[in-house]
Amino acid sequence: MGESLLASVVFLKLADFARRSVTEQARMRAQLEAVIAVTTAELEPTDRVVLDAPDGVAVVVLADPAGALRLAERALHAAAAGLPLAAGLNHGAVQVRDEKGEARVEGDGIAVAAQAANFAPPAELLASRAFREALASAAPGREARLGVAGTFTDAGLRAHAFFRVDATAQARRVRRHAVLGILVAAGLVGASVAVRVAAVGHDAFVQRLEQGYEGALRAGGDALRGWAKKAGL
Amino acid sequence: MAKKAPRRIGRYKILEELGRGAMGVVYRAEDPALERVLALKTIRLAEDMEGREDYQRRFMLEAKAAGKLTHPNIVTTFDFGEEADIAYLAMELLEGTDLRTCLLENSLSTAEAVDVVAQVAEGLGFAHERGVVHRDIKPGNIMLLERGTAKIMDFGVARMRSADFKTSTGLVLGTPRFMSPEQITGGPVDGRSDIFSLGSVLYELLTRAPLFAGEDAAQIAHNVTNLEHAPPSRANPQVTSMLDFVVARALKKDPALRYQDAYEMASDLRACLAEVRERHAEAVRKGNETDGTRTVKLEAGEARAAASPALAIGSDTDLRLSPRFDSAGALRRLAHPSGRDLARLAARPRRPGLLKRLLRDEAPRRLAATALAGALAALGVAWLL
Repeated sequence: MGESLLASVVFLKLADFARRSVTEQARMRAQLEAVIAVTTAELEPTDRVVLDAPDGVAVVVLADPAGALRLAERALHAAAAGLPLAAGLNHGAVQVRDEKGEARVEGDGIAVAAQAANFAPPAELLASRAFREALASAAPGREARLGVAGTFTDAGLRAHAFFRVDATAQARRVRRHAVLGILVAAGLVGASVAVRVAAVGHDAFVQRLEQGYEGALRAGGDALRGWAKKAGL
Repeated sequence: MAKKAPRRIGRYKILEELGRGAMGVVYRAEDPALERVLALKTIRLAEDMEGREDYQRRFMLEAKAAGKLTHPNIVTTFDFGEEADIAYLAMELLEGTDLRTCLLENSLSTAEAVDVVAQVAEGLGFAHERGVVHRDIKPGNIMLLERGTAKIMDFGVARMRSADFKTSTGLVLGTPRFMSPEQITGGPVDGRSDIFSLGSVLYELLTRAPLFAGEDAAQIAHNVTNLEHAPPSRANPQVTSMLDFVVARALKKDPALRYQDAYEMASDLRACLAEVRERHAEAVRKGNETDGTRTVKLEAGEARAAASPALAIGSDTDLRLSPRFDSAGALRRLAHPSGRDLARLAARPRRPGLLKRLLRDEAPRRLAATALAGALAALGVAWLL
């Protein structure tokens, strides 16, 4: 025990928890636990550790950053009705410690996720750069969902660059790549035509093109007729 | 050797010595005018005491303020004065046990502890409303009477004592175990400081272990100002989650996040009582009052030591397992990773290569497919035409 391993950490923080009345704190905590029970159901129990934080819950997800992102998004969605929840995600070192027989989990992985949750407004999530990189490594392309949120400075004057979910970013990226593909394809065909025109001359190229077109039409017509004959039509 | 008790202090006839402390002696005395037996608390005023006049003035002010407090949960101060080198307070004489003794004897159940602290909170609420802050709430200053009534003692003299702990000069006479962080750091103190101290007392009563332990006063002071406590329910299964919240709120380091009003704390504690009593009854029914919490063992055969909250204190990023979710399997993977886990979990994430991108990322896959189709069309043009 004691070696630091890397894991994705989802820190779910209840906004202004400490300022609320104890009755409200108890209600919110019970609600949060219900949300966690629902959202962690899709993960194998051997893939996640649920930890109690003073003002929320941290879930350590092993070897599945995409699962961690899904969990955070689902938790925020589930909590949308009345629970002021903010999420922070990080991928970093976590360590298990045994203290008088009680297991404790600590590490930068949790600290940065907690910091991200501190900066996140209610119903939003902020993810660290390390999490974005882990997501890119585990599920290439999914990191496109996380757009730059900005740089945040904590009380210790440390600057943190965080990313937030941009729901349409991934679709935009796919469209962008598709348009680029079409342009590349059109460019290649256009270049090929230009080379041929330069080589054989414009009239000869047009003539070959027409011959090729007619030949293709003929070949197509013959093939259609042959198929109809075979089919007894 | 102890001095012989004086026969009379002020107008009070001394009957016997009840106790002796660092500041003075407490006597059982009689007020001849009213034929009333009372407790006379004396404070020695040394001749060469630096700033004695200021000390006396403060004592008079505090005693006067305390004298105005008439509440069932506050020891009544009848009179105060000075004679020779002794300042004294004539107070209600109580027959009971102080909470420090109860703690040592382990004689209070969880429900009783909650009830006692709720009463003290009521008393504090009353005093705070009148602008009086105790400044030295600790088990030794809370008396429990036979019928279960709790009384706060030493209003009026606490300010004299709180000067005992001085970190700036290195003079450490008292213990900061029940002081609030702002008291230790020399910040402004108000009723919320008493609430923190009462939270510490409640914690000790619930867990039967000191909240802020340490080898010396400086270490305890560091713990009070920096370390977060473990929920008392970890050490005592009869503590409900609601009670955990009450303790957490009372023990917030930032006074702005603490209970702002001792009455509110008392009300929350009363709200917890029914559930605590129910749990207690259930435990008695089962005939099993031992720790019922589930603990994940990280090492086979490792004995679970008695919970020591002071040792279990950590920051917000040193977190405990949620007892409501079974994380044993994943925890085992983290604590004792297999070869496969070690390879997966110890490796730093790497930027995916081109091939991985093409295989698993939809956007570059579409781009590559379209470009490939374009290249094939271009080849066709070049070859056929």
